[in-house]
Amino acid sequence: MIQIRNLHKSFGDLEVLRGIDLDIAVGEVTVIMGPSGSGKSTLLRCINRLEKITSGTVIVDGQDVMDKKTDLNFVRTEAGMVFQQFNLFPHMTALENVTIGPIKVRKMNHNKAKKLGMELLSKVGLEDKALTYPDHLSGGQKQRVAIARSLALKPKVLLFDEPTSALDPELVGEVLEVMKQLGREGMTMVVVTHEMGFAREVADRVIFIDEGVIIEEDTPEEIFSNPKHDRTKSFLGKVI
Amino acid sequence: MGTGFDFNFQVIWESVPFLLTGLKLTLLITIFGLLMGFFLGTLTGLMKISRNIVIQKIGGIYIESIRGTPVMVQVMFIYFGLPLALNMRVAPMVAGIVAIGINSGAYIAEIVRGAFQSIERGQTEAGRSIGLSNLQTLLYIIWPQAFRRMIPPLGNQFIISLKDTSLLVVVGVGELTRTGQEIIASNFRAFEIWLTVAVMYLMVTMSIAKVLNLMERRLEIRA
Repeated sequence: MIQIRNLHKSFGDLEVLRGIDLDIAVGEVTVIMGPSGSGKSTLLRCINRLEKITSGTVIVDGQDVMDKKTDLNFVRTEAGMVFQQFNLFPHMTALENVTIGPIKVRKMNHNKAKKLGMELLSKVGLEDKALTYPDHLSGGQKQRVAIARSLALKPKVLLFDEPTSALDPELVGEVLEVMKQLGREGMTMVVVTHEMGFAREVADRVIFIDEGVIIEEDTPEEIFSNPKHDRTKSFLGKVI
Repeated sequence: MGTGFDFNFQVIWESVPFLLTGLKLTLLITIFGLLMGFFLGTLTGLMKISRNIVIQKIGGIYIESIRGTPVMVQVMFIYFGLPLALNMRVAPMVAGIVAIGINSGAYIAEIVRGAFQSIERGQTEAGRSIGLSNLQTLLYIIWPQAFRRMIPPLGNQFIISLKDTSLLVVVGVGELTRTGQEIIASNFRAFEIWLTVAVMYLMVTMSIAKVLNLMERRLEIRA
């Protein structure tokens, strides 16, 4: 699904990613962990080209994201993104947030889009909030609408950038529940998160990144109970 | 022996129909001038936030040169100066509209730029991440939000431009101020006439403020 080879990314003099190799298979749930500033978010953002990569290759569903012939708008619909700050469109209702993608990008007619939007909102448990504006939704509800918005494009992979970090503790569960359900349905997901419970329950693999390189990758059981690298150990020691 | 001044309602009453004709011209110039200004301002405001340095500079030069010169000079340049260089005649009314348009455009550009830059980056990223093109993101995501933030400063600019039309007396457009001057030239009732002219301007500016206020609140409720 995703092949990353020798990916480097610099912001000016600062090299954030220093040679990442990573393969993500269809249906796989990958959790990325690492200290802040380690490059986790940048890695996600390189996958759907919100950041331009400095060197290396990123191939999403057979399309090289750096190739000039690649339609970036298309790549972005293949890899949906869920943001830490939700980034819902405040001037649109929950339903409109979900349907704008299908209507404008997929040229779907309004009735069909509305039907799809309602299906997706009920999937995330928010069909009764369809006509509500984001300002009147809780953080957890906003993030669930954002997930529905990404799903509306029927992406092949969903990228989550710390989806629960901006939430009050009591709202984290409802978002993780939706994500777990997606995982069980076979959605390919790459999730930057520090939620150990989620990783343990849903992830096929946990990747630990520090200073722009992959330090260690393994199954969640193995990495949490038996981390091999010192940096992984000290990080997990602080997080748990 | 008084001061010799007695307030005369009769002259106000008689001048109102003439002043209203002038007011109509004032409003026409303001409306068309601002339409032009809004178009110019949106265009150059967006040019200023373009990533293309040449486009950015062109927008910048326009904004700087208009903001840095008096409206009165701009009006006279457009009416008396340009026709000489272009070897053509310009109707005073057209010159007035163009002057108001070019002038307000520079200020509106800054309003547009500020509003666009105040929209969080995440909004653009979210738009792009669901596959919207750059233009679609601008049109459907950024513009509606930015427009809301533009309303209060735009209202301010509308009022300023309306008042600026009074400077068009120098090119002989028969707008409100000019009409007032002409009436006074024949009846010498400066106090009554200027007072009436002032009240007419005030009524229009207050209406503009009121309408924009309502508009702002309406858009507020929706989000």
